[in-house]
Amino acid sequence: MSELLNVALPKGRLGDKVYGLFEKAGYGCPDVLDPGRRLVFESPERGVRYFFVKPSDVAIYVERGAADVGVAGKDILLEYRPDVYELLDLGLGRCRMCVCGKPDHADSGEGSLRVATKFTRITRDYYASQGRSVDLIHLNGSIELAPILGLSDVIVDIVETGATLRENGLAVLTEILPVSARFIANKPSYKFKYEAVTALARRLSDCIEEKL
Amino acid sequence: MENPALFAADTPKRRLLALYEKHGYARYRVGRFEEYDLYAKNRSFITGSAILTFTDTDGRLMALKPDVTLSVIKNTPVGESLRKLYYAESVFRAPDPESGFAEIQQAGLECIGKLDEYSVAEIVSLAAESLGLLASAYILDVTHLGLLRGFFADEGIPEAHWDKLLTLAEAKNTHEVRGDAWGLSDTSAETFRRLVHLRAPLEEGVRELSALPLGPRAADALSELASLAVALREVPGIWLDLSLKADTRYYNGVVLRGYLPGVPSAVLSGGRYDGLVRRLGRDAGAMGFAVYLNLLDRLAPGRPGPDADVLILDEGADSAALLRYVRELTASGARVRVDRAVPEGFRYTRLVRFQGGEARE
Repeated sequence: MSELLNVALPKGRLGDKVYGLFEKAGYGCPDVLDPGRRLVFESPERGVRYFFVKPSDVAIYVERGAADVGVAGKDILLEYRPDVYELLDLGLGRCRMCVCGKPDHADSGEGSLRVATKFTRITRDYYASQGRSVDLIHLNGSIELAPILGLSDVIVDIVETGATLRENGLAVLTEILPVSARFIANKPSYKFKYEAVTALARRLSDCIEEKL
Repeated sequence: MENPALFAADTPKRRLLALYEKHGYARYRVGRFEEYDLYAKNRSFITGSAILTFTDTDGRLMALKPDVTLSVIKNTPVGESLRKLYYAESVFRAPDPESGFAEIQQAGLECIGKLDEYSVAEIVSLAAESLGLLASAYILDVTHLGLLRGFFADEGIPEAHWDKLLTLAEAKNTHEVRGDAWGLSDTSAETFRRLVHLRAPLEEGVRELSALPLGPRAADALSELASLAVALREVPGIWLDLSLKADTRYYNGVVLRGYLPGVPSAVLSGGRYDGLVRRLGRDAGAMGFAVYLNLLDRLAPGRPGPDADVLILDEGADSAALLRYVRELTASGARVRVDRAVPEGFRYTRLVRFQGGEARE
């Protein structure tokens, strides 16, 4: 049996969906469905070893070669720019990176716009492309609080259904980019395990197309 | 001051330097400092933007070298014959700004002057041989920067979109290519996808490329690659990968990246950089590569080998006889330690007890 392909998947709801796609593609591992406290699951007959890690850590596992391939959100790839191959858009976990704020917010264009976000690089790039100077406020969570308490004028964050925004009296002001889960590969792994990585990518791609 | 441990018998560094010497490359030694101005003018040539600086006693702003190539070119006179140089030096960079500065050991070579087909082939071959000296399996990816750029020009794709397309190519991301919006027809978008995902041994890859509908500019680059592929026919481990990206203000022509199994990023990087040489006011071409020696630690994870081949316990030895014995062992290449007892945690292959003039196992 050749070496197993190490696959890093995001924990949580997105991970369940992603694992479902891998299973459908013929890379199932029954132990995943009965996880207990285990973090690593192997299926030697399918040639894969899965680990479930924090979604924002998947790209690090792949870039550093602890995983050969993985699934990470486009938001994470744009924010941290890991040196990996992005082979497929899996179309799962679709959401939007948006500028949000109070519905009546109007940017006067004067001074620096105060923007609170977890995604400082994406935000900086976006406003640089608009030629707008900003005062970036990096927050790690509860971003929606920032405009409510006057900490920032607007926020840049992921919006899935918009329910949290609405509940807090906020609205999407501008959509920056669409976000979805991407199949990524470590560069040397792609080269040394080319057949295994591309066979998996092909099967995943076939499954996505079937679904479409 | 060189680290003496690096000169122990048969280190990767020694193997590489011996290879370069065998091919007539001369050792180039550089100091650790360089005027900051050199890097300020060529900032984007250097990986990672942070540079360690200090003010010298005469007031000049100096830098701890973040790069060797710039110094080599700046300090090497160019004449009719090629200047073939190799180096093994530390550079100081912050590849990850959150992790601070690191001392990175590099060994590599530079060939400066009027490069011809043989010189380019020799450098690519030496890059492959360098990787072969470090691990039993390796991959050396090769591209020609003129190929994708030539393809864009041939297809009439506006230059404003080239960088976006090259960035996507570097990640082998073709699902985000927006054909119509970026001036690609359906056919050219499909050709772009095939170019980006093409992966084959160099000669086979060139054959596959020859079957694609490429315009004259891309065909020029392909023709150079084809000649290179023929010259390198007998060198194993060289693959074509058009997704490699390099800054075309400095690089042109052939670009290289080398990989070893178990090391999560490229251990070798290089290419032809006539643009850099011209920016430094020289009328010449240049090509070279660097091997990142720090990354080789990843090749031998776990417990390192023994501290000595032979541990000799001095149990009342005749000093002259023991010294003679040690000299004989070290002359045969063994690493020897003499002590009165086994040092704590010390690992050895053979234990010898020495009493009077006698050695016994």
